[in-house]
Amino acid sequence: MNTQDEKIRFDAIVVGAGLAGSTAAMMMARAGLNVALIERGQKAGGKNYFGGAIYTHAIGEVLPDFMDRKPPFERPVTEAGFWMLSKDGGLTKMTVQGGKLGAEPADAYMASRAVFDVWWAEQAQREGALLIPKTSVVDFIRDSAGQVIGVSTDRAQGDVYAPVVIICEGVNNLLTQKLGLIDHDLEPAHVALAFKQVIALPMDTINARFGLPDEKHGLAASVLGDVSLGLPGMGFVYTNNTSVSVGLGMMLDAVVEYRLKPYEVLQRYLRHPAIAPLIKGGQLMEYGAHLIPEGGYRDMPKLYTGGAMVAGDAASMVNALHWEGTNMAIVAGKLAAETAIEAHKQGDFSAQALSQYEARLKDRFILKDMKQYRNFARFLETHPEFMDAYPGFINDALGQFFSAYGMPKKTLFKNILGSLTSRRQLFKAVGDMLSMGRAVMGW
Amino acid sequence: MFHALVAIKQVPDTTNIRIDPETGNLVREGVPAIMNPYDAHALASAVEWKRKLGGKVTVVSMGPASFTVTIREAVELGADAGYLISDRKFAGADTLATSYVLAAVIQSIHEKDPIDVVFFGKQAIDGDTAQVGPGVAVRLDLPIITYAVKIRDINLAKRHIVVERKTERWTEVVEAPLPALVTCEKEIAEVPFAPLPDLIRSLRYEPEVLTMESTGIFDAEHVGVRGSPTVVFKMGTPPLPEAGEKINSREIGVEAAVATAFAKADAAGILSSVLGGVK
Ligand SMILES: Cc1cc2nc3c(=O)[nH]c(=O)nc-3n(C[C@H](O)[C@H](O)[C@H](O)COP(=O)(O)OP(=O)(O)OC[C@H]3O[C@@H](n4cnc5c(N)ncnc54)[C@H](O)[C@@H]3O)c2cc1C
Ligand SMILES: Cc1cc2nc3c(=O)[nH]c(=O)nc-3n(C[C@H](O)[C@H](O)[C@H](O)COP(=O)(O)OP(=O)(O)OC[C@H]3O[C@@H](n4cnc5c(N)ncnc54)[C@H](O)[C@@H]3O)c2cc1C
Repeated sequence: MNTQDEKIRFDAIVVGAGLAGSTAAMMMARAGLNVALIERGQKAGGKNYFGGAIYTHAIGEVLPDFMDRKPPFERPVTEAGFWMLSKDGGLTKMTVQGGKLGAEPADAYMASRAVFDVWWAEQAQREGALLIPKTSVVDFIRDSAGQVIGVSTDRAQGDVYAPVVIICEGVNNLLTQKLGLIDHDLEPAHVALAFKQVIALPMDTINARFGLPDEKHGLAASVLGDVSLGLPGMGFVYTNNTSVSVGLGMMLDAVVEYRLKPYEVLQRYLRHPAIAPLIKGGQLMEYGAHLIPEGGYRDMPKLYTGGAMVAGDAASMVNALHWEGTNMAIVAGKLAAETAIEAHKQGDFSAQALSQYEARLKDRFILKDMKQYRNFARFLETHPEFMDAYPGFINDALGQFFSAYGMPKKTLFKNILGSLTSRRQLFKAVGDMLSMGRAVMGW
Repeated sequence: MFHALVAIKQVPDTTNIRIDPETGNLVREGVPAIMNPYDAHALASAVEWKRKLGGKVTVVSMGPASFTVTIREAVELGADAGYLISDRKFAGADTLATSYVLAAVIQSIHEKDPIDVVFFGKQAIDGDTAQVGPGVAVRLDLPIITYAVKIRDINLAKRHIVVERKTERWTEVVEAPLPALVTCEKEIAEVPFAPLPDLIRSLRYEPEVLTMESTGIFDAEHVGVRGSPTVVFKMGTPPLPEAGEKINSREIGVEAAVATAFAKADAAGILSSVLGGVK
C-alpha cells in the first residue's frame, strides 16, 4: 500500500481534533467530502484544557439538534460576572443571575474538555469524517508552485494528500509558522499561562457554598483583584456538577520575569479567605496548565494561503476579556469548512479562492470583535491598576458605604474618595476609565 | 506461507487503577482499557516473523463488543484479520472456560487455514493467572513454550521453532515441532509505531464476530459461568508485610548475631522445615 501510485488521498485534511478542527471536519463530511481529521493525541482533545464554559450559540450553528444528542455538559451558566478580591480578605461579587441567563438551553455550559472534545469529534465521525489519532502532522507537501497539496506525519509512509488543509493546531502554532503565515514564534508578552485545579465536592456542598438552588444552576465568575499579584492576569471560578474548577491566567512574560512558580501563585489565590472556604475539604482531581493566545488582532497570522487555512487558537482567535475562545474556534472552523466546500465546487484551491474565508470571518463577530479589541492586550499591560487598585478600592468603598461608623456621611464620602486617591490620582482614574472604554470600543 | 495466531485480551490499564477501600473491588470507572501489554509484544513478534517469512497474522479475542477497539489496535500493529468471540453466554468465564472457547475457535480456524505458531501473552495484567495459554495448549495437544524472550528461528521447511525462554536461573533454548504454542514476555519484540496505512486500515476494520450460534462449535456445558468452576469468594488488598526484626552485629558481634538469627529461625520452625533442623 501507499506506493507511488497508491497515495493516501482525501478531499480535505484537518489538523487537530480540538473544537475548531472537529467542527471543520463535521461540516465538510456533511457536505459529502472525504475528510481526514488528524490528531496527535490518543483521543480527540485528550490534552486539551480550559476553564471553562462552552457557548451554545456556536454549537447550535453547527448542530441545531445538539440538545437531542445529549452533549456531555456540566451545569449551565445561570450566574455570571465578576468577583473582586481585596488584600484584607474581602470579596465583592458583581454577578447577574436568571433573566437572560435562565434561558433553556443556556447560553453557555460548563464542560470538561477531555470529555466534551471526544463527543464533539464523534459528531464529526458520525458525519463520516475519519479521525486518525496518535499521529502528528509535521510538515506540508507542496507542489512546484508552492501550493499546499497535503501533509506529512510522524509515521512511516505517512504522507497524506488533499487539495485543501485546515490547520486547527491550537495555541502552539508551529505549522502555521512553518507555512510562513506568521513570521515569529509565540511571544511571552502575547500569551497567558493559565493554570487551574479541579476540586471534587459533593453536589449539595457546591449548591450550598455557591448559593445555587440545585445542579441545574451554575456559576461562572471572572476573579479580579488579589489574584495575580497585581500583574496583568485574571482568575476564574466555574462550578461543575460535582467539582469546582478554579484557576488563573497570567501573561507568560510576567511569570518569566518575576520567576513566579505558577503552583504557588495558584495556592496563594486558593488560600484567600473568601476562596478557601468554598473548596475546603474537596479532593484535588486534576492540576494542569495551558497557554491562551492573547496577542489579539495584531498577533493574528495571515489566515489562508494556496491550499490551506488556519482557524481557532492557532490563528489567535481569542477574546480574553470575555473568556471567548471556544465559540470563535467553532465558528471559524465552520467558515473555513464552507470555504473549502465552495473551493471543491469550483475546483479552485488557490489563495485567491480561499481568501473567501477571511471575507466570511469579517462578516461575523470573529474579525469584528478581534479588530475592536485590538488594543486591549496592550491596554492591560499598561494598566495594572485594573487588576489591583480598582478591585481593592471597590471592596473598600462598598465596605465603608455599608458600615455605620457613627460619623457624618460627608466624612464617609470623603474617606471613600480618599480610598480611591490613595490608590490612584483622581485625574488618572478618570483617564483610566476613558482608556478602558477606548480599548473595549476599539477607538 | 506462515500463519500466526495471536490471542489478545483487553484489560484495564492497571498502572493507574484504584481499589475501593470498602468493597475491595477494582474501581473500573474512568480507567482506560488497553491491549494486555504482553499480548501487544507477542503480536509484535508474530508480525515480525510474518514480515520475514511472508504470510499472515490472525488475532482472536473473547470479550464484550467493546473489545473491538483492541482488535482494531491489533490490525494497526500489523494483524491481517481479527475475530471477536462475543456472546452473553460466554460471560463470567474463568480460565477453564476461557481456554475451552479459545481452543475451539483456534481449532476451527486451523482446520480452514492451518496455523504454524499460536502466540499468547505470558499473562493478563488483570486476571494474572497465566493459565489460559497452557490451558489451550493442553486442549489442542500442542507443544508449549512458556516465558519466551526470543524466537531464534521459525523454519517452515523443517517445521520447527527455536525459542529462548527465561527461567529463574538461566535461559533455556528450546526447539519444538510446529504447530507450537508460545507464551511471551515483553522482551520478545518491541511494539512498533505503526505505518500510517496500517493505522488507517485499522480505523475502518470491522472484526468478524463469532457467537455460540454462528459457529455451532461450543458445548453449552463448558462455556461462561456454567463452564467455570472457579468461585471468587472475596477480594482484598494484602496487608503490607511488617518490617522484620533487626539484629545489630555491631552491638553484639557477628558470631552472636549469627547465632541469634539461627536460633530465632529455628524457634520459628523455618530451619527445621528446610533442613530438618540445624543441630
Ligand atoms: C484555562 C483556560 C480557560 C479557558 N476558558 C474558556 C472559556 O471559559 N470559554 C471559552 O470559550 N474559551 C475558553 N478558553 C479558550 C479555549 O479553550 C480555546 O480558545 C479553544 O480550545 C481553542 O480551540 P482550538 O480548536 O483552536 O484549539 P485546541 O482546542 O487547543 O485544539 C488543538 C488540537 O490540535 C492538536 N494538534 C496540535 N498540533 C498538532 C499536530 N501537529 N498534529 C496533529 N494534531 C495537532 C492538539 O492535540 C489539539 O487537540 C480557555 C482556555 C484556557 C487555557
Ligand atoms: C481479580 C480477578 C481474579 C480472578 N481469579 C481467577 C482465578 O483464580 N481463576 C480463574 O480461573 N479465573 C479467575 N479470574 C477470571 C479471569 O479473568 C478469566 O479467567 C480470564 O478470562 C482469563 O484469565 P487471566 O486473565 O488470568 O488470563 P491469563 O491466563 O493470565 O492470560 C494469558 C494469556 O491468555 C490470553 N487470553 C486471556 N484471556 C483472553 C481472552 N478473553 N481472549 C483472548 N485471549 C485471552 C492472552 O494472550 C493472555 O496474555 C479472575 C479475574 C479477576 C479480575
